[in-house]
Amino acid sequence: MRYLVTLQVNRTSYPVELEVGRTLLSVLRGELGLTGSKEGCDDSECGACMVLIDGRPVNSCSYLALQAAGRQITTVEGLASGTKLHPLQQAFLEHGAVQCGFCTPGMLISATALLAANPDPTEDEIRAGLSGNLCRCTGYVGIVAAVRSAAAELANAD
Amino acid sequence: MTATLAPTLIRQDGRDKVTGSGRYAADLTVTGMLHGAFRVAEVPHARIRRLDTTAARALPGVYAIITAADVPEVRYGAFLKDRTIFARDVVRWEGELIAAVAAATPEIAAQAAALIEVDLEPLLAVTDLETATRPDAPLVHAEWATYEADENLVRDGNLASRSTIVKGDADGGMADAYIVVKDRYVADGSHAVPIEPRAILAEWQGDHVTIWSSTQVPFAARSGVAETLGMPQNQVRVIVPHLGGGFGAKCELGFEPQVAALAQTAGRPVKVVFSRREEFLLPDHRRERMILELETGVRRDGTIVARRAHLIIDNGAYSMDEPFLGQMAAMFAVGPYRIPNVDVSADVVYTNTQPSGSVRAPTGPTTCWALEQHHDVVAERLGLDPVEFRRRNLVHEGDTGPTGQVFERIGALETLEHAAAAIGWGRPLPDGEAIGIATGWWPSFPGASGANVTINADGSGTIVTGAQECGTGAVMALPILAAEVLGMRPDEFRILYQDTDAGPYDGGASGSQTTFNNGRAVIAAATEVREQLLDLAADLLEANRADLELIDGMARVKGSQTSSVSIADLASQAAGAGLLLGRGSGEPPPTPAVETANCVGRLGAESFAAPTFFTHAAHVKVDRDTGVVRVLEIAASHESGVVINPIGATGQIYGGVAMGIGQALSEGVLLSEDGRQRNPYLLDYKLQTVADVPPIHVDFVDAPSPTGGPKGLKGIAEPPCVPTPGAIANAIVRAAGSRVRELPMTPERVWRALASTNGEN
Ligand code: FES
Ligand code: FES
Repeated sequence: MRYLVTLQVNRTSYPVELEVGRTLLSVLRGELGLTGSKEGCDDSECGACMVLIDGRPVNSCSYLALQAAGRQITTVEGLASGTKLHPLQQAFLEHGAVQCGFCTPGMLISATALLAANPDPTEDEIRAGLSGNLCRCTGYVGIVAAVRSAAAELANAD
Repeated sequence: MTATLAPTLIRQDGRDKVTGSGRYAADLTVTGMLHGAFRVAEVPHARIRRLDTTAARALPGVYAIITAADVPEVRYGAFLKDRTIFARDVVRWEGELIAAVAAATPEIAAQAAALIEVDLEPLLAVTDLETATRPDAPLVHAEWATYEADENLVRDGNLASRSTIVKGDADGGMADAYIVVKDRYVADGSHAVPIEPRAILAEWQGDHVTIWSSTQVPFAARSGVAETLGMPQNQVRVIVPHLGGGFGAKCELGFEPQVAALAQTAGRPVKVVFSRREEFLLPDHRRERMILELETGVRRDGTIVARRAHLIIDNGAYSMDEPFLGQMAAMFAVGPYRIPNVDVSADVVYTNTQPSGSVRAPTGPTTCWALEQHHDVVAERLGLDPVEFRRRNLVHEGDTGPTGQVFERIGALETLEHAAAAIGWGRPLPDGEAIGIATGWWPSFPGASGANVTINADGSGTIVTGAQECGTGAVMALPILAAEVLGMRPDEFRILYQDTDAGPYDGGASGSQTTFNNGRAVIAAATEVREQLLDLAADLLEANRADLELIDGMARVKGSQTSSVSIADLASQAAGAGLLLGRGSGEPPPTPAVETANCVGRLGAESFAAPTFFTHAAHVKVDRDTGVVRVLEIAASHESGVVINPIGATGQIYGGVAMGIGQALSEGVLLSEDGRQRNPYLLDYKLQTVADVPPIHVDFVDAPSPTGGPKGLKGIAEPPCVPTPGAIANAIVRAAGSRVRELPMTPERVWRALASTNGEN
């Protein structure tokens, strides 16, 4: 049984025909061609597949695509404005928060959600907020520093 | 950091990665592509009685199934050719490949793989390291004696290789010692766990194949495909899209030949993407299980007179680079210490478990963890402070290494002093907290490597290299070196990399050797272009070539403000005539001479070329009731020659320390009785999260090596995980009073050590 639904991803509407059991991650990466979200485990353990659904961070590997219909989905591809990087993206580059980059999309999404909920987080709050995202490369040092610096940047911009 | 050239380099690949537009192997699709799946043994040791693919082939949507019968019978392996790309007759570990399926969807491929009928007759599995080499143990390879092998390998049945280091007279040294300390350590295997599970896509056109693979070593993958499928290397092109980490697990030949053969049979491109479980179970690169018996004789003043050590190392079912790693482990069991009398042996033994192979600093952290605990035991027996004990024994310039090499200028002692100072060694701490320290060493690996540099008509630069970027930023830092030679900015260069048809050979993202070797190649190539630019400029400025310099994007007469021409202008002139093209490789620096007359099993790197030295100090807190260890702070001091890209180098230390903490406390392969992995999931195999990793203080000691890479630099990516587990172990015993001789030092093991009544540390 297939259902025709419309997914709203990064402010674009995508009509897709889906079987019930399809995960949001497989549809984003497959039918929609948005391969920015990564699959590191398919088991809700690594956070590489994280996207925002109505602003809340969700592991898209463990979320049914049909459930996402009618909601606003944001993936890493939706963070920049045209060619202008989001302050978090810029800060990740400047603070050595990116090495292999495989955790980066999920980290950026997680950090976006964190700063939306808590614009001025302490270091402990940053660490708690990102603890669902595994990184094997950086020891997280650059990532934490980048989130702190982006928070300051965003606060100044307001 | 005298040679720092780019204080804040922004990686060329960074924008791809933060925007999600960068493609990794699993992200690729090509027209007509099918999906592949493997059928694996799932049992540790068995004879294949029957293999029937009829039912699987009948499934709609299945395009091809291949087994050993469909590919050339070629045995391969780096030092010991003991394996084939699919199992023939016998399976020797649970992850061994039996067949591959290509189908319209990943689901159909998986279903068909399960439908293949495999009738297996169970054989006794060899899993215990100590009994594996007894005469009554079943042989993992009954036909081991017929395998082609490196002539220096010493082997016998389940002993895949033995390496020894013999220097002076260990017996005599022990006899003369004031005290002799002997103890034993046991370490579980562990995994590299890149966050990207590997993916491979193969597409044939005519008689040549293009393989997009998440490999760290594209040239080794290419030669491996050529060897196993029987074709010339120039008909195999390996391209690595962005690589999502490797840490050694994606070294050597991976699964490229199987996917290439499958695509050829299917007549369609095929992509295989590993699940996390497969990424744990199938690669032939697990960090080795080890048993380490260490014995040290010391004088009353704390100087070491003799070292004996016997290491048993799990090779797993097949030998990839493990025999070489046994030799490395023997060097690490001596350590960066002055020891006149040495007798060390390292036995690499076959078992029916996943093959071991390079995982970040292979054998380094495990051996350092055991040795540095052993050294603290020795210090304790002498009543000496652990830092003072190391101070009295660490190697200095002019000292002789285990195999006779004479050290150049090195900074081993400085790393000890700096780490101790940074952590506040000796300061009072609350109950249950303590500081431990560990020192180690690691070689650089000089080797062949090539690069091309061109200046385009508009003055922008292009570097084409065969080097591989695995995330460390080593390839991303190459423009720093070209820019310095050409008087340009690093960001004026683009790099084309990790494509075997584009760039000249490089050893790949392995052995921390990219900057060391490919850096040299890039400098050589840029230097050719520099000569071409100077020729053009000398003509144009009517100046003496020797008076010219390249600086700020210009060629100019030294010191002159007016007599200059921009590199862009020179490039546009050259575009109409002799192009600005440089190619380089450069001579690898020599490895130190060695004295190994009494040693066996020498497979290269008998001495350590441009060795790097490092000390970590760990401040930990131990909960005596639960055995839970919390690392509060790490101070890491590294002598890596010089550092040219600080953001990259510190990033390696941070990541390495986090990995070292994981290996110390939570990361270990749990094996069942018969050698199967019980925890191939991230839920049960615990990596450090951002909430676990403590503050890390990084310090670099400068000691440019005359036989190092560019500017005297040494390898940097692997060492940072080496001394961390040992430092943590030594802190645990100082905090809680009991020594934990099993790795990882899980809460249960720590708790048991604390509960054991013998009170002996
Ligand atoms: S892929 Fe979804 S959490 Fe790992
Ligand atoms: S940058 Fe590689 S996993 Fe985070």
